[in-house]
Amino acid sequence: MLEIKDLHVSVDDKAILKGIDLTVKPGEIHAIMGPNGSGKSTLAQVLAGREGYRVTQGSLRYLDSDLPPFSPEARARAGIFLAFQYPIEIPGVANAQFLRSALNSQRGYRGEPELDAFDFLEFVKGRLAMLEIDDSFLYRSLNEGFSGGEKKRNEILQMAVLEPRLAILDETDSGLDIDALKVVARGVNALRAPDRAIILVTHYQRLLEYIVPDRVHVLAEGRIVRSGDRDLALELEAKGYGWLNLRNNCEEPFIP
Amino acid sequence: MTANTPFIEALRRIEVPGWLASERGAALDRFLATGMPSARLEDWKHTSLAALERRVWHSSTSVAGEAVCPDIASYPGHALVFQNGQLHCHGIYLANQIAGTLLDLANTQAVHQYLGQVADDTALANLNLALWQDGAHVYVPAGDHITLPIFTLFGAAEAEAMLYPRTLAVLEHGAEAILVEHFLGQTGQPYWQNAVTEIVLEDGAHLTHLKVIEEGAAATHTSLTAVRLGRDSEYRALHIGLDGALARHEIRVHMAGPGATTRIDAFDLADGHRHADLHLRINHRAPSGTSRVTYRGLAKGRGRAVFDGHVVVDRAAPKIDARQSCRGLLLSPQAEIDAMPRLEIYADDVKCGHGASIGNLDREALFYLQSRGIDLALARQLLMQGFANEALGLLDHTHLRNWLMPRLIAAMARRTLMEPTP
Ligand SMILES: Nc1ncnc2c1ncn2[C@@H]1O[C@H](COP(=O)(O)OP(=O)(O)O)[C@@H](O)[C@H]1O
Ligand SMILES: [Mg+2]
Repeated sequence: MLEIKDLHVSVDDKAILKGIDLTVKPGEIHAIMGPNGSGKSTLAQVLAGREGYRVTQGSLRYLDSDLPPFSPEARARAGIFLAFQYPIEIPGVANAQFLRSALNSQRGYRGEPELDAFDFLEFVKGRLAMLEIDDSFLYRSLNEGFSGGEKKRNEILQMAVLEPRLAILDETDSGLDIDALKVVARGVNALRAPDRAIILVTHYQRLLEYIVPDRVHVLAEGRIVRSGDRDLALELEAKGYGWLNLRNNCEEPFIP
Repeated sequence: MTANTPFIEALRRIEVPGWLASERGAALDRFLATGMPSARLEDWKHTSLAALERRVWHSSTSVAGEAVCPDIASYPGHALVFQNGQLHCHGIYLANQIAGTLLDLANTQAVHQYLGQVADDTALANLNLALWQDGAHVYVPAGDHITLPIFTLFGAAEAEAMLYPRTLAVLEHGAEAILVEHFLGQTGQPYWQNAVTEIVLEDGAHLTHLKVIEEGAAATHTSLTAVRLGRDSEYRALHIGLDGALARHEIRVHMAGPGATTRIDAFDLADGHRHADLHLRINHRAPSGTSRVTYRGLAKGRGRAVFDGHVVVDRAAPKIDARQSCRGLLLSPQAEIDAMPRLEIYADDVKCGHGASIGNLDREALFYLQSRGIDLALARQLLMQGFANEALGLLDHTHLRNWLMPRLIAAMARRTLMEPTP
């Protein structure tokens, strides 16, 4: 589904990713861990097509196409979804209007009929109920004045509405209380399917108690320095990143 | 023929009752003494009427031309439709005498008492007082609450016509109403509407006032809304400027009674070569008043939006609370926004504040929307709507969101020759 080979990415002419290799197959869940500043968000944003993130070397393939030429909206319509580490606040645009615009844009692209306001409401209320998110979310301005936890829940709601084939969750679990964490886990587990894949960028192994990954990778200084199964996450938690003998990796102590 | 000939001619041709004739003559004399507002005046520094003065105008002759507002049923309320200055058709009004034409009702006490008394002595207001042919009179007796909006439409469909719509709204003690003024006209015809709306709110009266400027693309719109507020009365206004080559709206609010409240929300769209100017002057003349101003201006193409929000707090108006928020959104390097919130305070113990900011569409926000599958054009639309929405709260109070939003969205999506596709 996703095949990344020797990927180098620069932002403002600064090399951030320095040779990433990663293969994600349909049905798999991969966790990417690593210290702050190691390039996890850069990798996530590059997949979503953020401008200014330049691929300088290597390849990035998704469902048999090269990704770099495609616009962010084209990628989304092809099934890529990024849950932002820092979701953007957009005053004056109601969450419901935004969700419906997004869903109908994607449906239109797939040749499916657009949902009218009534059908959309019915559909989205089903998703809200599944995630146990309050209906009032729909009528608030997109992320405006949302708490950190509410913003993350809203990302999961968007994911549940758009039903992507490849979902990338960038630290969606950071700073969440246990209830919010369960919303994330419910969203991910509901999405799980043989033809879908999920990449969880996370700092903590806590989320991995609810969502069992097939593979765990450690990203440091723009490279994947270690890959393994879920035991790697447990080992990291027990020993900290220092155990990996990284240079210059201690910007932030590892707190499980 | 001098520059003044058309105005003198126009007055000569108007047939009016005697008591109005002397008023009109005096008003025209005052106008002729000052002439058109010149760019030398501080208040007109940013808006030039030079193009207006280069044309030869005539007063309109009949309800000629195509109807510009054929679908009266699309207005969710009482409706009075004027075309080329005269009553064209009307909806469900009049039965209760709440609204009618100013000419028909000219000889009522409220008209005698207030006509020409509320509007300030400006050149363009004087010209309107001299030359108005018809207009609307809204009269809500004490204690009456009119829940359906009263629409007054001023349509124009005559090239080179100068039109002088005039409205007088009087709400007696504790009365409530919603007044919606809609200005529109034929695209491509250069005409000039110079409107005056006078509003009297007696003690405890509440008026919500929408003014939608959707003139033809070659038209000029100049207007004055003058409001006098009694004790504990409330004036809530929403100004929406969407079309017309040049539109200048002045709102002058005299907060004469203590405890009065004014809320003015405004959205102006300046695209293509459009020039949209909103001038506010809120005068706190009595204690314990509140005023709130929210302005959102959007400029693209070679458009120019001007906002002057001037709040004056008299010495006799302590304990007032006045706030302004104005924000501009610039979508092209050739567009321009001048936002000037101003406070002039002569009283003690007042709460006042204002903030102004001008910005561009947020790239992070665009990327966020695009990353959900929304294309760039729609993402821009959503952000523009979101921006405008901050000034559109009154649409919900009046249940007019469904009526207005399609017009607003269409105007924002409009692409003019000056504007390349992004
Ligand atoms: N827009 C940007 N411009 C310049 N440098 C950036 C930008 N975004 C991230 N970086 C830098 O890239 C590196 C990786 O950042 P990031 O991908 O956010 O790491 P992580 O998500 O692993 O914490 C950091 O050194 C950060 O300072
Ligand atoms: Mg990050």
